[in-house]
Amino acid sequence: MMSHQPGLFARGSAWVVALYLLLPISIILPVSMTDQRFLSLPREALSLQHYVTVFGSPEWLASIWQSFQIAVVSTAIAVVAGTLCAIGCWRLASRATNLVRALMLLPIIIPSIVYAVGLYRYFAGLDLLDRFMGVVLAHGVTGIPYVVITVSTALAAFDPRLEQAARGMGASLMQTLRWVILPRITPGILSGAIFAFIHSWDELVIVLFIASRDVFTLPRRIWDGINENLDPAMAAVAVLLVVFTTGLLLLDLALRRRRAE
Amino acid sequence: MSAAGHSLALRGLSKRYGSFTAVADVSLDVGQGEFLTLLGPSGSGKTTILMCIAGFVAPSEGAILLDGQDITPLPPERRDFGMVFQGYALFPHMTVAENVAFPLRVRKMGTAEREAKVRAALDLVQLSAFGERLPRQLSGGQQQRVALARALVFEPALLLLDEPLSALDKKLRAELQDELKALHRRIGRTFVNVTHDQEEALSLSDRVAILNHGKLIQQGAPAELYEAPRTRFVADFLGKSNFLAGTVQEVFAGGFAIGAGATRVVTASAELPPLGSQALLSLRPEKMALLAEGETAENTVTGSIASWSYLGAGYALNVATPDFGTLRITLPSWNAPIAPREGLPVRLGWSATASVPVLDDEP
Repeated sequence: MMSHQPGLFARGSAWVVALYLLLPISIILPVSMTDQRFLSLPREALSLQHYVTVFGSPEWLASIWQSFQIAVVSTAIAVVAGTLCAIGCWRLASRATNLVRALMLLPIIIPSIVYAVGLYRYFAGLDLLDRFMGVVLAHGVTGIPYVVITVSTALAAFDPRLEQAARGMGASLMQTLRWVILPRITPGILSGAIFAFIHSWDELVIVLFIASRDVFTLPRRIWDGINENLDPAMAAVAVLLVVFTTGLLLLDLALRRRRAE
Repeated sequence: MSAAGHSLALRGLSKRYGSFTAVADVSLDVGQGEFLTLLGPSGSGKTTILMCIAGFVAPSEGAILLDGQDITPLPPERRDFGMVFQGYALFPHMTVAENVAFPLRVRKMGTAEREAKVRAALDLVQLSAFGERLPRQLSGGQQQRVALARALVFEPALLLLDEPLSALDKKLRAELQDELKALHRRIGRTFVNVTHDQEEALSLSDRVAILNHGKLIQQGAPAELYEAPRTRFVADFLGKSNFLAGTVQEVFAGGFAIGAGATRVVTASAELPPLGSQALLSLRPEKMALLAEGETAENTVTGSIASWSYLGAGYALNVATPDFGTLRITLPSWNAPIAPREGLPVRLGWSATASVPVLDDEP
């Protein structure tokens, strides 16, 4: 146990940073409940009219649904590819696999706008522009790093003798994977899945480049809303987004706590 | 369980990692139902040999034969050997019963048969009441027994034990040694054990193979190794020993005499060295006695007590002598002839058969 207490300065700056991070998010809550017809703070009363608008609008609902579908499928791609990559690198454990792991992190290292321009060039030739599949692939691939990181971390804590024990008792590679390795790294996989999902759920830059009309995700609609008219419905959607993402992060936290027990 | 023991043979086994030789040309036979222990200090290659037998490490040279069949190229999952790992390697997310059932599950055995075998295996290690617990809810000794049950439940051809008792405290270790020995007698399987603990090796094994720097130094029954070590390393590693160095002065039938300074010492020996050569004798501390006034022995040396310690059952004295340095001697404490005190002059005596000539190991 640390007996050292943080000083006044450390405590103060921690609160300042926390507030700095939270304030811009908290401002949208009153804005979303404005009684005005434009983006503003409420004047006379709180109103849920903009939430009603969102849930009554086929455009908003379609975007939410589409974003959700894209996030689910791209998360599946990221989880399968990322987990297999992490396990493969862990089992082979050589200098080459370290390089592979580093390569896998490129999508979060390279600025997404650069990545988006590259995708745009390639997808044009493959007829994947403005396609559900195109966005799913783009989000799936850029979601892989999150899964590789969390699964590699889980594997680092995995006792390699458990694998030896399983094989010594006659288990094939698949049996060892299914019954011994996967159950031990499931929390890592779930964490990775949650991050990959959030990544796809609020990704805008790539979507701006590779989608236009048929694929219109939620962040894209918010973006257009800001550019075209300052409809307070956006604030309502933003609140919904924040609530949803926070829920996922809390889920991740709960899973981690269970693993730590 | 059936008493079907299998025999194992190592033929010229070597393992090199780059320029480092972990195991150098080891040949060894393990008979059916035998309990063999590979004993050596850390880095002696004993664990590498066990890993080669288990199939986790591919030997650089040599072959591993099971009942005369070459199994060197087989992967571990095809060898059908039970193994108890150092630290046990129990699956933490499975209950005790699920852990023990694992090898049966991978063999796709039916549920009823599986449950019966798991019950029998847990009975064998007296853990029937603990099937639903998780490994972390058990004590170290209980975990060790789960690991044994898991390694034996599928009736493996061979049981491999990698320092099975090293994580336990001394008292528990002694208890489990007895249990392990009884288990071996009861099921009659072939056991190969690895340890650095010489007491464990002596008390458990039918046969011990002593390794150092990847080489097999000597093998034999525990008593044979203790009483007739061939090299200085074996004598020193297995129990404690004094070493007397001197020049061969006289050779006679069944023994010879060495001289060092003004002292002459006779020893029994089957092999007789040439006159004038250098010889080294191993002399166990418990094989010497303190001589009373006027008492004689085949060999006597005088000296004074340099230091001493009380060990409960006995005393250990370090006696400084003019020609052989400090000699260690142990005496039972309940009828010790003297009250030890530093500086006390004493006379040590022993018979010619108490010592054995040993080779000085290559540096």
